[in-house]
Amino acid sequence: MTGTRITIDNVTKRYDRVEVIPGLSAQFEAGEFTVILGPSGCGKSTLLNMLAGLEEVTSGRLLFGAREVQNVPAKDRGCAMVFQNYALYPHMSVADNIGYSLKLAKVRKAERVERIAAVARIAGLEGYLDRRPSQLSGGQRQRVAIARAIVREPGVLLFDEPLSNLDAKLRNDMRIELSNLHKRIGATSVFVTHDQVEAMTLADRILILNEGQIEQFATPGEIYHRPRTTFVAEFIGAPAMNLLKARGEGGNLCLASGTPMTTVAHEGEVLAGVRPERIELSDAGLKAQVLYREDLGSHHILLVQLDSGEQMRLSTSQGGANADSSEVFLHIPPDAVHLFDPETQQRIN
Amino acid sequence: MIERTRTVNVVATGIMIAGILFILAPIVIAFLTATLSYEEFVSGGGIRLRVSDHFWENFAHVLFETRLPAQLWNSVVISLLVAFIKCAFAFTATFALVFYKSRLNTVIFAITIVTVMLPLELIVITTYQVVANVLMPINWLLGWTGLDALIERLTGSRPYLEYSLLDSYIGVAAPIATSSTSVFIYRQFFMSLPKDLPRAATMDGAGPIRFMIDILLPLSWTPLVATFMFWFIGGWTAYLWPLIAASTPDAQPAVVGLARLANTDPDRIPDVPMLMAGALFVSFIPVLLIGLMQRQIVRGLNLSEK
Ligand SMILES: Nc1ncnc2c1ncn2[C@@H]1O[C@H](COP(=O)(O)OP(=O)(O)OP(=O)(O)O)[C@@H](O)[C@H]1O
Ligand SMILES: [Mg+2]
Repeated sequence: MTGTRITIDNVTKRYDRVEVIPGLSAQFEAGEFTVILGPSGCGKSTLLNMLAGLEEVTSGRLLFGAREVQNVPAKDRGCAMVFQNYALYPHMSVADNIGYSLKLAKVRKAERVERIAAVARIAGLEGYLDRRPSQLSGGQRQRVAIARAIVREPGVLLFDEPLSNLDAKLRNDMRIELSNLHKRIGATSVFVTHDQVEAMTLADRILILNEGQIEQFATPGEIYHRPRTTFVAEFIGAPAMNLLKARGEGGNLCLASGTPMTTVAHEGEVLAGVRPERIELSDAGLKAQVLYREDLGSHHILLVQLDSGEQMRLSTSQGGANADSSEVFLHIPPDAVHLFDPETQQRIN
Repeated sequence: MIERTRTVNVVATGIMIAGILFILAPIVIAFLTATLSYEEFVSGGGIRLRVSDHFWENFAHVLFETRLPAQLWNSVVISLLVAFIKCAFAFTATFALVFYKSRLNTVIFAITIVTVMLPLELIVITTYQVVANVLMPINWLLGWTGLDALIERLTGSRPYLEYSLLDSYIGVAAPIATSSTSVFIYRQFFMSLPKDLPRAATMDGAGPIRFMIDILLPLSWTPLVATFMFWFIGGWTAYLWPLIAASTPDAQPAVVGLARLANTDPDRIPDVPMLMAGALFVSFIPVLLIGLMQRQIVRGLNLSEK
C-alpha cells in the first residue's frame, strides 16, 4: 500500500455568510504524516471533512495524486477516517464493524474474513472479533475504529482528534502504536489535534491553522526552534513563550524601561520571545522577584516579575540554584531570543 | 430527589392502591357481569356485584353465535396496518428530517406537527368524501385543466373516475394512521445517536438508504417496537372512523361489532352479560400484548436511557 499525494489548491469554505476557510493552499507528500494543529474553532475539522468528502468545497481544487476529487463522492476518494468518538456501529460485532465497508464494496466473504483477520492482527484485536463495541474499553474501541479505517487499504487516512477521549497513559501508548502503524502501512495521514505533544511526536510536518489560515507549515523542530509568527511562538511549547516589548540599541536588547536584557544584532522596536526553558538562573544579571512557584516534580515553573514591571515564566530543574529564594537573577543567552516585528507579528531574525 | 420517609411511603402506597382500584373496578364489574345469565341479570335489575356460573355459556355465545371472532380478525389486520403505516412513514420522515439539512426543514416539521393537531374526528366528513372516492383529486384536476371538456368533445361522455375504499381494510386503516406523533419520539431518539455515525457510514461507502436499513433501523428497534405496540392498540380501540367507513358487519372491526351487538333489538333489554363477555373477548389481544411487551414499551418510550 502506498500513500497518495494531496494537493490543496486555493480551497475556500463558507457556511452561509461565515467564511471559515478564506483560501488555503498546501501539499501533503505521499506517505507523509501531517498534523493539523490549531485552537478550537479554527477550521481543522472543516478542512479534514473537505478532504474526506463529508463537506463540500466552496471553491478551489483538491487533488489526490493527479486526480481532482473535490466533486467526487466520499466513498470513491480512496480515503478513510477515524473519528473522535469512535463512531462504531453499536449493534455490530467488531468483525462486522471492520468488514462493513468491504461488504458494501461486494468483496467475497472468504476474502473479507481474511482481510478482517489481517487488520485485527495489526491492530491487536485478535480474540475480540466477536464482541460488541460496548464490551470493549476505550482504547480497544479506538483500535477497532482504526482497523475499520485501514481495512480498505486507503491511500489517505484522516484522523479527527482520535486520542482525545482516552486517558493520559493510554494516549501515550496509542500514540506510539499509531506512529508504528503509519510506518507500516504508508498511507498519507492527516491528523487533527489540539494536543501539541501529539503534534510534535507524530508529525513529519505540522500545519498550524489560525482562523482558517496557515500560520506555519513545517517540521516539528522548525516550528519549535524557528516559529514564523508570534501566534505560533505562543501556541507551541508549555509553558508558553514569553513575549516582551523591547528595542535593539547599540548591540543590546533593552526592555521598554531601558534595562538591557541580552545582546542582539538588530536595531529598533521588536517583540522579543524567550522560551521559559531557555532562561537560566545565575548569580548576577537581570534581577527579578519570584511571584509564584509551581512544583511539577520533575521541574519548577516560576512566575517572576522584573524590577521594571514585566512578568515572565521560566522553568528550572528541581533543586536548581535559589530553589527557595524569593529573589533571582536571570541570564538570557543571546541565541535564545526570537525577534518578531511588532507590526506584522512576523519573525525577523 | 426521592424522599423516603414513612409518611410519604404510606401516602404513596395509598394513592397507588386507590389508582389500581379505580382502573381495575370496571374490569372486575365486567367480569362479574359476564358470569350472570340473561335472566339473572334482568331479574337482578341491572349490574350487581355477584358471581354466577354462566361465564362459559356467555363466552360460547360470543364465539359461536356472533360475528365477533371474524371481526376480531378484521381488528388484527386493521391495527397492524395502522401501526405499520404510522411507524413506516414516521420513521422515514424523521430520518429525512434529522439527517438531511434543508432550508425547508422547519416548514416540513411544522406541517408534520399540524397533522397531530388535526385529529380525524375533526375532519371526518372530508375524509369520508376522499375515501369514498380516492380518485376525486384526479377528477378535480381534469376539471381544472379543462381536459374533461376536451375528452367529452372527443368521446361524447364526460369522464368521471370513481374508486371507493369504504369497507376495505386500507380504507379503514389509512385515515387513522395519518398522524405523526411518532416523529417526535423518533426525532428525539435519532438526535441522541452519535452525530459521527452517519459520517462513518458514508466513509464506509453506505448511501442514505443503506445507512437507514443497515444502521439506523437495527439501532431504533426498541422505540420502533414500543410505538408499534402503541399504535396497534390505538388502531384496535378506534371507534368513530371504522363505524363510518365500514358499513357492513363483514368489514367492521371487533370494537364496532361489539357496539352493534348492544342494540340489535330496541324493544328488548340488551343482553349485558353476553356483551361483557364479548368486551373481555375483544380486549384480550391488546391486554396480552401489553403484558408480554411491557418491558419493551417502557424501555422504548423512556428516552433518557439508550
Ligand atoms: N455546519 C456549520 N454551519 C455553520 N458554521 C459551522 C458549521 N460547522 C462548523 N462551523 C463553524 O466553522 C468554524 C470551524 O469549525 P471546525 O469544526 O472546523 O473547528 P475545529 O478547528 O475543528 O474546532 P475544534 O478543535 O473545537 O474541533 C467554527 O467557527 C464553527 O462555528
Ligand atoms: Mg474539530
